[in-house]
Amino acid sequence: MKLTTQIALAAVTLLPLAELLVTALHPPGTHPPGLTWPSDPHWSNFTDAFRSAHIDRALLSGALLVLTVVPAALALSTAAGYALARLPFPGRRIAEGLFLVGLVLPREAITLPLYQQVRDLGLLNTTTGLALALIAAHLPFGVLWMRTHFASTPPELTDSARVDGAGPWSALRRVHLPLADDALRSLALLLSVWTWNHLLFALVLVDDPLRRTAAGALDAFQGRWGTDVPLLCAGALLITAPVVVALALAHRRFADALVRGVAVR
Amino acid sequence: MRTRLAGWLFVLPALAVYGVFVLRPLALVAQYSLYRWDGVGQAVWVGWDNYTAVLTDPDLHRPLLNALLLVVLFTAGPIVLGLTLAAALQRGPTLILVLPQAVPPVAAGLAWSVLLSSTGAVNRTLEAIGLDNVTRAWLGDSSTALAAVGVIGAWALLGLCTLLLSAGVRRLDPSLYEAARLDGAGRWQEFRTVTLPGVRREIGVCVVITSLAALSSFDVVYVTTKGGPGGATAVPALEIFHLAFTDRQIGLASALAVLLVAVVLAFTAPVLRWSR
Amino acid sequence: MSHRAGAVLAALTAIVVGCCAPGSAPQSTVDTSTTPGCGTADITLKARFETGFPLAKALADEFTRQHPNVTWDIREEQFDVLTRNALRVLADDPPDLMRLPQVSEAVRAGLLRDLDGYARTLGWDRRPSAQTRPLRVSPNGRPRGEGPLYATGLSTSVTGIFYDKEIAARIGIQEPRTLAELDNALARAKSAGITPIAGFNGGATGGLTFPLQSLMGVYSTPKSLDDWIFQRPGATIDTPSNIEAARHLARWLKAGYFDPDLNATDYARMMDRFTSGKALFMVNGDWESATLDRRMPNRAGFFLMPPRQAGHPRAAMAGPPTFGIPSRAARPDCAAAFLDWATTNPTARDLVVRVGGARPLGPTTPWPLDPASVTAATFAATDEVLTHDTAMDFIANATGAIYAKSWTPQLQRLAEGDQTPEGLLRAVQADYVAQTGG
Repeated sequence: MKLTTQIALAAVTLLPLAELLVTALHPPGTHPPGLTWPSDPHWSNFTDAFRSAHIDRALLSGALLVLTVVPAALALSTAAGYALARLPFPGRRIAEGLFLVGLVLPREAITLPLYQQVRDLGLLNTTTGLALALIAAHLPFGVLWMRTHFASTPPELTDSARVDGAGPWSALRRVHLPLADDALRSLALLLSVWTWNHLLFALVLVDDPLRRTAAGALDAFQGRWGTDVPLLCAGALLITAPVVVALALAHRRFADALVRGVAVR
Repeated sequence: MRTRLAGWLFVLPALAVYGVFVLRPLALVAQYSLYRWDGVGQAVWVGWDNYTAVLTDPDLHRPLLNALLLVVLFTAGPIVLGLTLAAALQRGPTLILVLPQAVPPVAAGLAWSVLLSSTGAVNRTLEAIGLDNVTRAWLGDSSTALAAVGVIGAWALLGLCTLLLSAGVRRLDPSLYEAARLDGAGRWQEFRTVTLPGVRREIGVCVVITSLAALSSFDVVYVTTKGGPGGATAVPALEIFHLAFTDRQIGLASALAVLLVAVVLAFTAPVLRWSR
Repeated sequence: MSHRAGAVLAALTAIVVGCCAPGSAPQSTVDTSTTPGCGTADITLKARFETGFPLAKALADEFTRQHPNVTWDIREEQFDVLTRNALRVLADDPPDLMRLPQVSEAVRAGLLRDLDGYARTLGWDRRPSAQTRPLRVSPNGRPRGEGPLYATGLSTSVTGIFYDKEIAARIGIQEPRTLAELDNALARAKSAGITPIAGFNGGATGGLTFPLQSLMGVYSTPKSLDDWIFQRPGATIDTPSNIEAARHLARWLKAGYFDPDLNATDYARMMDRFTSGKALFMVNGDWESATLDRRMPNRAGFFLMPPRQAGHPRAAMAGPPTFGIPSRAARPDCAAAFLDWATTNPTARDLVVRVGGARPLGPTTPWPLDPASVTAATFAATDEVLTHDTAMDFIANATGAIYAKSWTPQLQRLAEGDQTPEGLLRAVQADYVAQTGG
């Protein structure tokens, strides 16, 4: 019973990925019937995705964004989360409330003024502009995640640091940061996946598909009216592969982070 | 005293970035919603007209209704199936459960649009079991397209809900089950009287997550149907995008955005309170 | 200096052809302004082209080969991305040359350069009026079809009905000369178990506009449709003859002349179905001629939408892919020189035919083509439409939003039987009035 349930669950979960794979192996330009292994597998579609759609540039751009957005979001979130949890200051509840709003705010709602903001800063079609927007979008979650973490550390830590005469900055650096390692790793994993997969802001802020997030790059495969389905599927698999690899290495941390992330809400 | 100021210094960098790229745009959306504006020329004050238009024009309030239907579709499947799986498995295969949360929604949407196409695997399975007469292009038929989008959303959320619910189930005190069993409860009764109330909080959290996913579903619809056919899968997220960037009806787009935010808050606040 | 020679040649042939565009009084042919060119210093032209249409890129490469001082910075984008971004790109990040959707809004916003100066110097104003009419816009944006020239094409274009010669021969069908014969052919294909028309109408595409407007061209007149498309005061799409056309399309839909998954089919899939011999007809344009000759050599034929009575002039949608020069372009002269070169240089004209499959703009000189090719058939059709002046712009181009907001959803509903022909046109007209302010 348990085994059949597990197998059924695995089959349903993997079905779309299997479909992507077999479709990606059919001759380019065709519309293959569902889930049929091609008589002559076109593994070359994957190399074509690199050659004709320059998916390598898209992957690099996606990676660059992750490497920009995640560290910056972590740094800002750590500082703000620490203050919200451990430094009593006037207006703290207001600051926290502002971040709470962002937690449930649908991003679609603010896309247009965000576009104008980025344009007015002269950052349209730049990695910087897109990165700033994504950092800002991740901050509510990041800040409250770190706040939850710091709030869960024993208060004696801060007190003892204070007794030692350390200011809040050195208390954070010397006492709290070493203990936040695990929370930071998990947050980094979540933010990396979300940045990699993000579509909307990339679509709006960067015209060139190859300079967007990985998910935004799939547009590079689209023609005027339609698409080359097998090539598009090959491209989709190529942008999916890195997250699947990451997940294979760290699925327990990811699962744990998702559950803890929910608690942050 | 030093600490009191220091607190702000620590929060300020994050708040500045967040303020410039999220809070200020949010305030601007509220302002724009009261104007008629094409984004280039002069804006004209129209008061509540945009809201009236959104609420009375079927083309504009249909996305909101569709979003509410999607809330049901995104929520029902993952929670019912998730509870079943959580009760049956206690601890599911983690990698499988979290995979749909990591696959880019654009890739998942693409895969499902192939699966659900007229010659796709879903129809071929139906034909194989003799159900030829129900086969169709699921995403291209206005009577099934929204449900098909719902299936994609349910696929993406089932694992996460199962994960959350089974964590809840595992935390339940085993003695509760023993007590129920001593009272002669069957498996269903046990589920109803022990498991269900025990994971109430987890269910609430799941509802919030699935509702949020449904209300701001952009990626999957953008990849699969672009809101078609005939507006059957138009959702607020996509409609805002089109109104703002293609039609350049900034006022209408903003009014719809404000209403979407209101719906989101109306949904998440009470559920969160109930599950606490 | 080959482009200059080409310009002179074009001007000369244009005089011979002797046709003049509306609104542009044939003043003196001598212009005091200098002929635009790219100079001799190294320059880079910034351009935005459309993905999936290789002609522009091929021409740019050839231009660099002939003018090594000119290099290109080209960005290719999907048409719907171009449409969505056009105004913002023209205003915020203007290239020198840009593939454009409908131009009236850009003109109204003052974002496009008035090309009349170039047109006079380079002789574009002597092209057949059908080739320039849709690109003329009154300075405040409406109506279109008159006023200064704001864009130009690289080739002509014509739409009509492609057919699979093998299938036609198998079920005994010849090119229909009347609408009744076409209806007959459709019925024959249906009863032979072949999809009569390969179509597309899925997602954000309202591909049924192609057959619908073709039928409108039969029941109505190109002139009255253009009046509506160009936003002439008082124009309406909701006329008895257009309702007839919509009813005719609804009958085709009801008879199952399109595949049942029409509303889930995109353009690429329609092409795949037609080229792989799964459908008899396809309503489409000559931009696919070269592709069809490559993918189904000697198997594709083409005819213009037949009239109700044999021998009557046949109308066709004909709007060449348009290119404009932004007001804020850094090198407008060089961009104009390229646009002119593309239609006058012999190598460029040859590329237009081989890569684009379409007749080059300018003189309608005979062109050596394989008579069995579909390119030859679309060339002949182009000439017929130019001769009778029965070209019309696309109903999808009437306003910036009419295609995505009105035609697409309404035609998807019509395909499902959720909308009536009358309701379709009423709804589109209501949106049109709302968008144009009456």
